[in-house]
Amino acid sequence: MHIVVCLKQVPRDNSVKIRPDLTIDAEGIEKIINLFDEYALEEGIRWNEQHGGKVTALSIGTSEWVEQLRRALAMGATDALLLSDPDFAQLDTIAAARVAAAAIRKLGDVDVVITGRNSTDDESGAFAPALARLLGWPQLTYVGKVLELQPGGSIKVERHLENVIETVSCRLPAVMSVIKDINEPRYPSLLKIKRVAKIEPPVWTASDLGLNAADLAPAAQLAERVPPPPRPKGEMIDGPDAAAKVRKLVDKLLEYQVI
Amino acid sequence: MSNVLVILEAVGDDLAAISRELLGKGRQLADALGGSLAALAIGPTTAVAARAGQFGADQVYTVNAPALAQYTTDGYVAAAMAAVQACNPALILAGTSFQMRDFGAALATDLNAGLVVDATDLQVEDGAIRATRPSHGGNVINTYRFAAGKPVVALVRKQSFPEATAQPDRRAPVTELAVANLNPRTEVHAVAPKAGAVNLTDAAIIVTGGRGLGNKDNYYRLIPPLAEALGGAYGASRAIVDDGWVPYEHQVGQTGKTVSPKLYIAAGVSGAIQHLAGMRTSRTIVAINKDPDAPIFRIATLGVVGDVNEILPLLTEEIKARLNR
Repeated sequence: MHIVVCLKQVPRDNSVKIRPDLTIDAEGIEKIINLFDEYALEEGIRWNEQHGGKVTALSIGTSEWVEQLRRALAMGATDALLLSDPDFAQLDTIAAARVAAAAIRKLGDVDVVITGRNSTDDESGAFAPALARLLGWPQLTYVGKVLELQPGGSIKVERHLENVIETVSCRLPAVMSVIKDINEPRYPSLLKIKRVAKIEPPVWTASDLGLNAADLAPAAQLAERVPPPPRPKGEMIDGPDAAAKVRKLVDKLLEYQVI
Repeated sequence: MSNVLVILEAVGDDLAAISRELLGKGRQLADALGGSLAALAIGPTTAVAARAGQFGADQVYTVNAPALAQYTTDGYVAAAMAAVQACNPALILAGTSFQMRDFGAALATDLNAGLVVDATDLQVEDGAIRATRPSHGGNVINTYRFAAGKPVVALVRKQSFPEATAQPDRRAPVTELAVANLNPRTEVHAVAPKAGAVNLTDAAIIVTGGRGLGNKDNYYRLIPPLAEALGGAYGASRAIVDDGWVPYEHQVGQTGKTVSPKLYIAAGVSGAIQHLAGMRTSRTIVAINKDPDAPIFRIATLGVVGDVNEILPLLTEEIKARLNR
């Protein structure tokens, strides 16, 4: 069984700045594997341990991304693949899915693609559905539990939505996105981190993937990018003791008509 | 290509609030584009399809089939494609839920359309659609301009637009569309309510606890009772979810839920940037923390410096007394 896990590198937190050219400045913020993708990776590694085959960690990005792919290898991915090209710099989500779909087609023998429910920076959750449609495979999004997995056959999962849990199945190959509840990702051992430190994953470019400018063009132009409007200055509630503060707080809440 | 198509959702016997929002905004945008406003009801939602006319739709389409009794990506995308063929929309509007994200991204991909998820504003400028959406936990507000000539699928964040008001005498024709060979590749075996589901996203009042409470017992002794006294829901910071005090369902923040209630009370929550990402757009934010330098105070509307274990029981009692609960 060949599992591909799509990983995105993201800043650990979102305290990013906006450059004058409207690109995002995440300088000085540690880069990590998108949290939800780490759950996807753990899921792929576990299936691989159970069913055998291989798990390929796949990422689209600059050579800086190799760090995250090495971490994936240290966790237990058997292969890593970086899709990198200067023309990939401004991909929107659907174009990124187009790049990943081309690579997955080129790999050829993939049974399932797993990724996180969304990235913590872009937060759209559109990647997995877009990838599934481009590959022509069924999609299972927001998976919180895998109930049955028959390699070469079908998969049955629980989709954890806002208020309900759906039990859904489909034939493989399929694309799946996972939520945080699905497992507990492992920490790679220092020994394993050392062992993969020098690995240079293969890099495929746009031309390797047969992609042209039209495939990569974003659907929209960024017209404006600003920080959020500042919140009105707050008020500190003072008082001689806790009871007095609480009374004053409740007065305010009634005045604001929020209770 | 100047029409707007709204994908309707139902709650019980009525249109969902988000659908009334979308019909209101859709009406404006259709007028600005010089087109008409269509609405699509899929599967069980067809029962409330006729209501869309009262809220501003010029034309209502329905697609119904046994295979559409439950949501599937294939079924809903096929139904939407039938409506797209019927009205050739420039803009397709739906709400932003997990299900609609699954649907909207698939539809946009099939249509080779533009896509915006979590839109908080939509405008027409020189015949082109402009869409605003937050990213990076609300720290970045992006406005995109989509070139005319290609449709745009916009998933709108709840409570971004006022709900349209009903015009009881207004009617729109309802046309049933047929979809051939509806054969979803995913099979839905069961749809069960989530045990102990917390609808944090829809709650008007949320009380959230953090590590400042000291331990799990204090959390359950203090946070749910206050939430209950206020008729609200209770949330948790990532730190205490990771520590196993409270299930993930309750987590507010970058890797949990994004909420925007009218009142958000953060008790013993320091206000890590990951937490602020999930609640910074709340209307009134109350912070209670013993550390006067806690970052949560920077975005609080009302701040109380003090020990949550002392303040919360008093607050719950005071609220019960003042609200006669």
